[in-house]
Amino acid sequence: MHRNRGRSAIVGIGEVPTGRFPERTAIEGALQAARLAIADAGVRREEIDYVMPTGTLFSFQFGNELATARLVEELGLPGVGSNCQVFSGGSSSTNALRIAAALIETGRARCILFVHTDKLGTGVSAQGGIDLFSTAGISAEWEVPFGQHYSTVAALATTRFKHETGCTDEELSAVCVSNRKWAELNPHAFFRTPLTIAEVMNSKMLSTPLRAKQSNMLFDGSGAFLVTSAERARDLVARPVYVLGEGGAVTHFVYSQEPDLTRFGWAAAGRQAFAEAGIGPADVDVAEIYDSYPIYQLIAFEELGLCGRGEAGGLFLRGDTWPGGRFPCTTDGGMLSKGHIGAGGSVSLMIEAARQLMGKAGARQVPGARFAVETATGGTYFDAQVTVLGTEVP
Amino acid sequence: MITPPKPRPEASAWSRPFWNAAREHQLLLQRCDDCRQWIFYPRIACPHCGSDALGWQQASGRGTIYSYTVVMNNAPSAFAADVPYVVAVIRLEEGVQMLSNIVDCDPATLGCDQPVEVVFRRLDDEYTLPCFRPLAAIGAPR
Ligand SMILES: [Zn+2]
Repeated sequence: MHRNRGRSAIVGIGEVPTGRFPERTAIEGALQAARLAIADAGVRREEIDYVMPTGTLFSFQFGNELATARLVEELGLPGVGSNCQVFSGGSSSTNALRIAAALIETGRARCILFVHTDKLGTGVSAQGGIDLFSTAGISAEWEVPFGQHYSTVAALATTRFKHETGCTDEELSAVCVSNRKWAELNPHAFFRTPLTIAEVMNSKMLSTPLRAKQSNMLFDGSGAFLVTSAERARDLVARPVYVLGEGGAVTHFVYSQEPDLTRFGWAAAGRQAFAEAGIGPADVDVAEIYDSYPIYQLIAFEELGLCGRGEAGGLFLRGDTWPGGRFPCTTDGGMLSKGHIGAGGSVSLMIEAARQLMGKAGARQVPGARFAVETATGGTYFDAQVTVLGTEVP
Repeated sequence: MITPPKPRPEASAWSRPFWNAAREHQLLLQRCDDCRQWIFYPRIACPHCGSDALGWQQASGRGTIYSYTVVMNNAPSAFAADVPYVVAVIRLEEGVQMLSNIVDCDPATLGCDQPVEVVFRRLDDEYTLPCFRPLAAIGAPR
């Protein structure tokens, strides 16, 4: 058995709704989420000895305040030995959990509070958001001068994936419909009205073949989770969410340097995470797959081994990934329907994975969920990060 | 809305020869004197073997479209006036990949694996971008 399997656990989650909240400041969202997580776990504030904020994109000034312990002071946490930011763009949640788990496993920390907050919906203008995301994580020397931005990044993977696998625009649109089905059941999601494949396929063309409704939108949002040792977790809560396995692969910085735009590093990262966890893809009850654009959800779903190459589109189209389906996927609605909140896109998915395993997902609860896989990726999909969580240790 | 100026590449000391050559309408690539691998983008040391012995060689300027997209809407401000424009990943004959624009083409006729050749587009006095255009005889023997 892998030495780290199940030695740490998520014991508390907190989240505020994703959307446009001009009156809710970024710090207010962060504090609300953190306090909800602390209350959810039932830990005393004195117990928290490590605060791990992640990066905030809307304001450099505010991001620095989190990096320099604003949360510790605002929350009044007297026992904190370290406040240290962990940031890798969209994969921050998974990297943070990995570091948190390692600190717990080695005894360097006992109770870690991870917090994300951002204000990309009302803290920046619409064009400001597009411009921010035309440079954030994109090579200033080798790609920005050619007009590369996140729509083209996603479109380039989509074009090649369609070319190699025969994936159709209808299948890509079905990913958006699947995520929307879940968002309809999620009070924290921004887009909650039913969506059809025709609506997606008739929406404005951004960068061929990517259309507007296949693209995420930026919103305000905040989330938090608490990590502690498996032993302490069993004292605190009825259903600890054990960290069973983790895997990662960093495959490029400059997007053109990615060796395979139809696969990325998911297969290797998934093998590593499942091996460490002691389960296989067939054991997964709920898959919280990073979307941001439909192509990435399809690729990761396939490369993790949840289905074969070129088969995911059909599963999304036929409803297998929808509520009640055989392969519940991205059950909070994802960035496509819940909303993109910067580094918090994958924080939402991590919280949702834990929420499903805790049995707290309400109307969208996957009955009897025991094992969940969560994926995350940052920048121009420079990495593939995979976490396997479970309510029991195999 | 005021259109901001086009973003400039911000060269480093070791990429300067690439941009100087592009200004003269030449596509130069680094090549490792030790392991003989071609290298793009320019590095401070060989990413394949770590050697410091990197030289510059003229590339063929030919390659194929690995993938591409035609930007129609929601472009970054500096590119808003350029739509539709084509962004593509080019696989050069030398075995390296680079992001570029495909110009002098009908975007509707483009496809993956189509052969292309380099063509240069001036940005300002200092920088010229290597772009690509479809090889004239599409479907000719490769
Ligand atoms: Zn070398």
